Order: sequence, then structure tokens, then C-alpha cells
Amino acid sequence: ELPPSHFPAARAAAVALGYLRYLRGGPGRGLELRALRRARRQDIDDVGHKYYLELELEDVLDKDRTVSCTAEVLYGLGSNSSAPDVQITVQGELSSTEEADKEFYNRIRSLEKELVAENIPDSHGNVPPELEPIHLLAWAASGYVIWQNSTENTKFHLAQVKHVKQLKRSDEDLQFDYMLLLHEMVSQEVIPWEVAVLWHPQRGARVCRD
Amino acid sequence: MWALWVLIGAASVSAHLQNLSFDGQKVFRMIPQNDEQVEILNFLASIMEVDFWQPDSVTLVRPKMQVDFRIEAEKSFDVEDLLKESGMEYQVLIDNLQAALDAQLDSTTHTASHSYQKYNNWDTIAAWTADIAAQNPDLVSRSVIGETYEGRPMYLLKMGKSGPNKKAIFMDCGFHAREWISPAFCQWFVKEAVETYGKDTVMTTLLDKLDFYVLPVVNIDGYVYTWTKNRMWRKTRSKNANSICIGTDPNRNFDAGWCTVGASKSPCAATYCGSAPESEKETKALADFIREHLSTIKAYLTIHSYSQLLLFPYSYTYDLPPDYQELNSIASAASKELASLHNTTYTYGPAAKTIYPASGGSDDWAYDQGIKYAFTFELRDTGRYGFLLPESQIKPTCEETLLAVKYIANYVLEHLY
Repeated sequence: ELPPSHFPAARAAAVALGYLRYLRGGPGRGLELRALRRARRQDIDDVGHKYYLELELEDVLDKDRTVSCTAEVLYGLGSNSSAPDVQITVQGELSSTEEADKEFYNRIRSLEKELVAENIPDSHGNVPPELEPIHLLAWAASGYVIWQNSTENTKFHLAQVKHVKQLKRSDEDLQFDYMLLLHEMVSQEVIPWEVAVLWHPQRGARVCRD
Repeated sequence: MWALWVLIGAASVSAHLQNLSFDGQKVFRMIPQNDEQVEILNFLASIMEVDFWQPDSVTLVRPKMQVDFRIEAEKSFDVEDLLKESGMEYQVLIDNLQAALDAQLDSTTHTASHSYQKYNNWDTIAAWTADIAAQNPDLVSRSVIGETYEGRPMYLLKMGKSGPNKKAIFMDCGFHAREWISPAFCQWFVKEAVETYGKDTVMTTLLDKLDFYVLPVVNIDGYVYTWTKNRMWRKTRSKNANSICIGTDPNRNFDAGWCTVGASKSPCAATYCGSAPESEKETKALADFIREHLSTIKAYLTIHSYSQLLLFPYSYTYDLPPDYQELNSIASAASKELASLHNTTYTYGPAAKTIYPASGGSDDWAYDQGIKYAFTFELRDTGRYGFLLPESQIKPTCEETLLAVKYIANYVLEHLY
């Protein structure tokens, strides 16, 4: 059993949140951790350390509701190689983003020139309302990076979207090339990370891998 | 929608702006002396575009009334000729309206005025330290405790009603350059102290019985760098021998288990411990001041962000400090006080176990010097905005934190040693 408010449990929760943001996040849904209710760690011989978590999440666009989740995060041994294994179960429904997604999709598709933006939020913490969906899509993209690159001794947060550029595509997907700044809390480094993301209202976010 | 459009088309934006240029336009001021001269102005308004600033329209012009009006660039010479020919006295109030507008824009960015609900740049904060001391001479005095690497004076504010044998609480902000909410809190604290002294019983008692040393920005060079070059900078800006990398982590630079754990020996790392304890001018100045006033300083508070934590020693070891029980109860109560305002949850505990071990911290050093009540605050938020906390959160963050700080200060006052 671990104190849920202390960092070792919080690090595992950050991985679970990153994973879920990637799977379910997007321009119309920004999932944030409201509270970590419970955390347990199990040391499995020859395999690694497994964290069992009970999380309470909220959507930043709909803060009156919360959603409960359970998650299992398995960090493998000698873990320089692979991403932690994450299983997550959401209790109940996340609110629908169909309308917001459609509106965003149509707005971007109808732009005369490809979208370009930088410093989201800006130095003073401001995000222009029209760029909030781009910001939330960056959360989804960063979720992938955080999930893939976390170890038991790291805790990543998205510090800022340094730059984002839309790339024209011939198919139905939207593509955004992000330069993200990730803050790693233990080393205190702020690391620039390039991520290319495809997004579509029905298909959700997918990170392009080289 | 328009904001997106602006971001996309730089060329289209500049074309739009040219239509609104006031380049070369003049503003005249004159006092028509009689009906004849009023007629001349009427005539002028009938043959060209005249924008009356004062009064609103030519129909309101009367003799002896001061009249200000704007004329477009090409017509201004004709107007001057006409005014001269008719012997009317006039002055050119603004010779080039566009230049005047540009100058006004420049002045607001360079000499920005201080606000407790905005992030202030270093020049603004420095000026504020002088002003606040000058405006409240019996409560605030300013001194310089040293110089930064780049030669900037480190201002310290001493707050409190003067009295004999007073004990003190030392509080600093801005150790890490990118943690902008931290200096904002020190400024807020000072404001609350001067504004509520004599009105709030707790604050009045605190300032009567204790002194507060407030260091609004420790790492000034770093702070300036986050305003001018890199918003995510953390360390000082000192050069490192044999490296192209700049800066030392000031909160790994104190003589407390120095560079043993949670700090890096590499100058390029964000947690570089420095070439030696107190290698940085800023940390040495802080440590020297505390050493010189050790007999009077009874508590040490250091303000950081982010994560919403209230930590106490030790960071450099998992061992618990001798005063663990007491520190833990204080932290527990202070966190409760903080949460009472906006429900903001803080986690508290001994630093190594609560977050991670890290050596060379100023709070550990202060504690080992004998300052029993040593706390580190990590302010809002928990990662949504992180270092880029929106200005709209400055007030609520500072208000709730103040409750915790006042609680701790009051406890210290009631448990002086």
C-alpha cells in the first residue's frame, strides 16, 4: 500500500493518465487527474513492479463531473527498453465530444492556410480560446510520449506547446506536427519533443511513428 | 476565428494595418478670437476632412474657445498656410500622430507599471521594492544583501514595527527562474502586510512582535532570462569552467549533504549542484545573511512551484529530523488552513519521502543551522499549467498561501525558542 499523495504513486498515475489521454483525449476532451484515491505496489519476481491505482478524473471542459478509473501500470525490469504496460478501466461514461469534434474538424478543414501557432500557453499562462482544442490535442499527443518514455523514476508533464504546424493531407485525417516541451520532475529537465499526430472525429488521435 | 487568421497570414495583417496609419498627420491647437476666425474654421471644415478633437464638431466652435483638430498629412501644409495668412495664432500640438502613438506603445511595454495580479518583470519589481519601502517607512526598509553573477543588486525587504530584541522569520521567493508564481507571492505578502497592518489583528500582532525578512527574487539573473530568452530556464546564469553550459541549480548548491543525491555533477544538467557549496554569489549572499542573523531568525520559508506541496526536512536523506512530529503537525494544520479558502489540496511531509531525495537544499541547510521551523512551499498547480500558471490564478493562489504562512508565523510566535 502506498500513500497516494506521495510521488512514487503519483508517477505511476501520470503514466496511466498519459495513456488514457492518448486513447480518449482529443480537441474536445482534456482529461485531468482530480485525485488519486488509492495506490498499491506489487513487486513481481523476474518481471517488474506493478502499481494498482484508483483514480478520479475530470474533463477540464466539464469540471462538474468526475469519472472513476482503475489502472494497472507495470514497469518492466531493466526498463530501458520498453514502455510500461498500462491497463485502464473507466467506470461509467465520458461525456460525448461529437459536436465539439465536428465543429473543430470543419473549422480546420475550412482554413485557407494551414494552421501555425506557438507558445501555448504563452509565458503568462494564456491560451486564446480558438487554440484550446489544439492545446488539448497536444495533451493527447503528449500522453503517448509520456506513456512510452516513462520509468518508475520519472514524472512527465506537458510544459508547453512550443510550436504546432498543420500539414495538408489528401485523405480525411487532420495532421499536426507538434514541438512539445515536456517537463520531467525528477531531473527537472524540460525536453523538446517532436510529435506528429493524425486526428479524425471518428478515428481519434494517432501518433505517427517514423 | 480572427486570431487564427492573424497567425496564418502575416502579409495580409500588415496590409490591413497600413490603412489605419496616421503617418505625417498633424494635430493643431488654436483659439479663434472672433466670429471672423470661427468662420475661417467653418470654411476649412467645408473644403476638407477636419477631425475635431475638441470640441466634437465645428458647429460647436465659438470665439475664445480652445479648438483642437486633426488634419491628414497632405493637407496639413495648406492648412498652415491658411492659418498664417489669416493671422490666426495656432500651435502644432502633435507633429506626427503616428510617431506619437508608437512612442506611447513603447513606453507602456518598457516601463510597465506594477500589479499584484500580474507577473512583473525584474525592473518593475526592483522599482516596487524602493516604492513600497518609501511609502511605508515605519513598516518596511530595503537593503541589499549581495550581488548576482551578472551584477544585479539583491534587494531584501525587512518588514515589521521596530522594536527591541525582535525575532524574525526569513522568506525567499524566486530560487528557480521559471517559477513565476513564487516572486508574485512574496510581493503579495508584502502588500498584505502593509495594507492590513492596523486592520487585521493577526497581521498587526505578527508585525509588532516579529520581523519578516522577505527576499522577493533570489535568482534575479535567471528570472530576467525567463523574460528575455527562455521561459523554461531554472538555474542561475553563471559560467561554468570547462563547459559551454551555463548555470547552477541554486537549490542544490547549499551545504546540506551537498551533491550526494538527487543532484547532478554535470554543468549541463538542470540540477547541477555547482562547483562547490555556495559557489553561486546568490546562494552565498543568502547564506551569509542568515548566518549573520542566526540568533534572531527562528523560521525559514522558501517558496517554489509547482505541485501543491508543503515540505520540511530532510531532502538529502530519508532520515527524519529530530523535530519531525512538530513539523508534521504544523504542516498538516497549515495545509488545512490553505485548503479552507478555495479547496486547494496540498500534500505535506518530509521532502525525501514525499517527493524524492535531493541534496543541497536551502531548507535542509537552514534547519541544520538551528532554524527549527524550515519549510518549502511548492505552489499551484499540479501540472495542468505547471510553470505557466495563468495570471488569473495569482490572486487565489496568493490568498490561500497567505493563510498558511500566517498560520506558521503565528505558531512560531507562540513557540519562540
